[in-house]
Amino acid sequence: MSSSVANEERKKRRTLVLRPSSRAVNVFASGIYGVNQGPRHTSSVLGSSSRRSFSLGGGSKVLEKSATHTPRQDARVLDEENNDVTPQPLYKADPGAVQVKGSRFFVEEICAESASDQITATGSFTRPFSRSLLGSSRISSQSTIDSMNEDIEETFSKRDMPINFPDVQGKKDTVKELVTEEMLKEVIDVYISETDSISLLDIPCYVVSVDTDDAEVIIERNNQYAEVCRNRMGNDRSMQTLNEAVKNKHVQIDGMVMVDTATTVSTWDMYDTLCSPEQDDTVRSPEPEKLNYPDAVLGISRGAERGMSLGSTASIASAASSLKDVEVVGNTLNSESDLQLIMHSEKFQYCLLVMERGILGNIFQPNLAVYRQLPALEDPDSPVKPGTMEQRKEDAESCGSPALQRLWTFSCELSRGRSVSSMAWNKKNPDLLAVGYGELVSSDLKPGLVCCWSLKNPTWPERVVHCDSAVTSLDFSANNPSQLAVGMHDGSIAIYDVQSQDKKWHVISSSECPKKHLGPVRQLRWTQQKLSLTGEEKVEVLFSVAADGRISIWFVLNSGLDCIDLMKLKRIHNMKKKAGRNKDKTESVLSALTPGLCFDFHPTDSSLYLAGTWDGHIHKCSCSNSQQFLETFRKHFCPVNCVAWCPLSPDVFLSCSSDWTIQLWKQDHLHPVLGFTSTQRAVYDIKWSPKWATVFGAVNEGQLEIWDLNSSVLDPVAVQPAATSVMMRSLLFALHTDCVLVGDSDGQVTVYQLKNLSVGESSQVDILEDLIRSAASR
Amino acid sequence: MADVEDTLKRIETQKGVIGTVVVNGDGIPIRTTLDNSTTVKYAGLFRQLTVMARSTVRDIDPQNDLTFLRIRTKKHEIMVALENDFLLIVIQKPCE
Repeated sequence: MSSSVANEERKKRRTLVLRPSSRAVNVFASGIYGVNQGPRHTSSVLGSSSRRSFSLGGGSKVLEKSATHTPRQDARVLDEENNDVTPQPLYKADPGAVQVKGSRFFVEEICAESASDQITATGSFTRPFSRSLLGSSRISSQSTIDSMNEDIEETFSKRDMPINFPDVQGKKDTVKELVTEEMLKEVIDVYISETDSISLLDIPCYVVSVDTDDAEVIIERNNQYAEVCRNRMGNDRSMQTLNEAVKNKHVQIDGMVMVDTATTVSTWDMYDTLCSPEQDDTVRSPEPEKLNYPDAVLGISRGAERGMSLGSTASIASAASSLKDVEVVGNTLNSESDLQLIMHSEKFQYCLLVMERGILGNIFQPNLAVYRQLPALEDPDSPVKPGTMEQRKEDAESCGSPALQRLWTFSCELSRGRSVSSMAWNKKNPDLLAVGYGELVSSDLKPGLVCCWSLKNPTWPERVVHCDSAVTSLDFSANNPSQLAVGMHDGSIAIYDVQSQDKKWHVISSSECPKKHLGPVRQLRWTQQKLSLTGEEKVEVLFSVAADGRISIWFVLNSGLDCIDLMKLKRIHNMKKKAGRNKDKTESVLSALTPGLCFDFHPTDSSLYLAGTWDGHIHKCSCSNSQQFLETFRKHFCPVNCVAWCPLSPDVFLSCSSDWTIQLWKQDHLHPVLGFTSTQRAVYDIKWSPKWATVFGAVNEGQLEIWDLNSSVLDPVAVQPAATSVMMRSLLFALHTDCVLVGDSDGQVTVYQLKNLSVGESSQVDILEDLIRSAASR
Repeated sequence: MADVEDTLKRIETQKGVIGTVVVNGDGIPIRTTLDNSTTVKYAGLFRQLTVMARSTVRDIDPQNDLTFLRIRTKKHEIMVALENDFLLIVIQKPCE
């Protein structure tokens, strides 16, 4: 480019300067002035040869051009007529345009202008040189320089220019001095025009179709370029933000208190919140406090128990432990009231009940299991004594004689010392047993007691009812299973509602009834009765037999009981009268009624019943006939203590009496079919087994006897002697198991299990009947 | 009230019962027949266990609730009756 040319020229110039012999420019202090000075100078002095000396030695184009331009400078084109048709330059600068540009005025674009300067200004030939071709990369095409050179040469030819090669600044000044006054006053027109756009870099883009062969190369180059752009430093921002100056500002606030809270939520938590929001507040509010006081009673061990499920943090725990001592005092006071509150609550009582039964269940488990005919659970961890093992094996192996095994005893301190007078199972709940305590012998009339025992708790009765006088009989109602009728020694009958929790038993008493019994009520029975002969519906009625010789029906009237006499047990005189003596004393002075001691209703025909009297007679009566006995069975000569129909075989009943005998009767035989005696003691109670027709149990003063008519008619098959100084009083068979309950005069009810009774599966009715038939035929 | 007291006494004197602890709703034992350190241990540990057990039962069915917990160990049987406001813990040694 020209700049390089200029640089070369400059260098050359300097060298030229040093060679005085050269015709080139002598002094050029600074290489500012361009190339053109040289040729001008030389051209003014010399001819064309000077131009040749302006050799830049490089074979530059300029040089050659200048060389070629040489002849033209002197040339004047003359036509035939000697007209000067020298071609004028295309551009004629204004002669008056003096350019007062300083030497420093390097406006590169004004090459043409500088040319004009040369043309116009006579003295100011340096002006054009002010244009510096040096410096930054500039100009133009070579053509401009060429034309410029031409112009410069032409101007040189026209003028006489003093050889004036001033210094940069100095020369300027001298140039300026040559400006005449008139030139300064001239109006100079300055034309400013826009130059062409100079494109510094023009790389036209070209579009290549994707299908061409070198498309991949181009694409790859594009990608590379994009990557270069991307990797350029500072290019990671999509926009440039300026980093302003930083200013620090201080603010002071109160310290922030941080509190950790946590909670766990579970399914039931959500359910609780959904169901009962108002309850929830009371429930949840004590809970956070529970965390804090796990062991505040005597503050012994702090510690690991703190890990509660409600997410307590260590801070809460430590706070609690520090506060614990303070709160110990408070807590002791609280705990007292807590205890009271808890104890009073029903839930606590229920819990106690269940707990007690659980404990007792553990204790009595083997026996209860035997009772219920379940296998007894063996404790796997307890040390097994070798003796017990052998004994168990023995028991298992012995299929020998029937025996009675004692299971447990219902007894408590309340009942100690009282005599059991009667027992009854609850009709609905077979685990519930009512026991009446009272003396048969009216020696000391302690107030009576009724205890309702549950099998689940043999150590304490479920209900305790204190009665006014000694209890002599009991029965549970079938229709209202919670009603218990109690007959007492003073002849009154009371009906208790056993189910009620509070102490106020719903009592209906017959004590105000005018027709109440005058003697101890010996037996009570709830029976279903037909109301009328034709009607089918059955109503449960309470029957009683008492020592005043009356059998009565009781019903509730005006919150009291009233009775209707069903039968009066009249004395039956002996057929034989004492001959002679007191014919008019046919009626005895004694009352005409004999005390009734027991009765029993026929299992199927409930209007038929048997009554045993103090005389020893057994009367068969009917509910419809209140005047006469249907039949009388005479055998006993002592009070008949108990009569019992056989539940499995109709028309057969047993009776026991104080004359040491037990008699087996058939209904239409006026004489007993069989009689049993074992010991010379009064037999107090007799009961049939509910399962086997040939088995019955009898209790006399000293022992419990189990008779099995199938195996022996003469002796009981199993005998259980009573404990010393205790008399057995009453007997009850358990309904669904092979157990027998015996009540004694010490207030204890003992449960025995019948074992190894070699009775068959069937109910043995036919065997009984055979026996009876064979016996009766004798 | 006397009834409750009697029942509690009966339980405490039953055969095989080693000890009884009544714990109130805050986990403080309010009545006990054991010595202090044992009581405190039982109260604290069973409080946790019952909370966990109850949570399990209720998670399965929120309408259900735990009423009784029985733990059979090698040496004893520990029975815990649960309510909202209290715990009744009885330790019984099985008797043969």
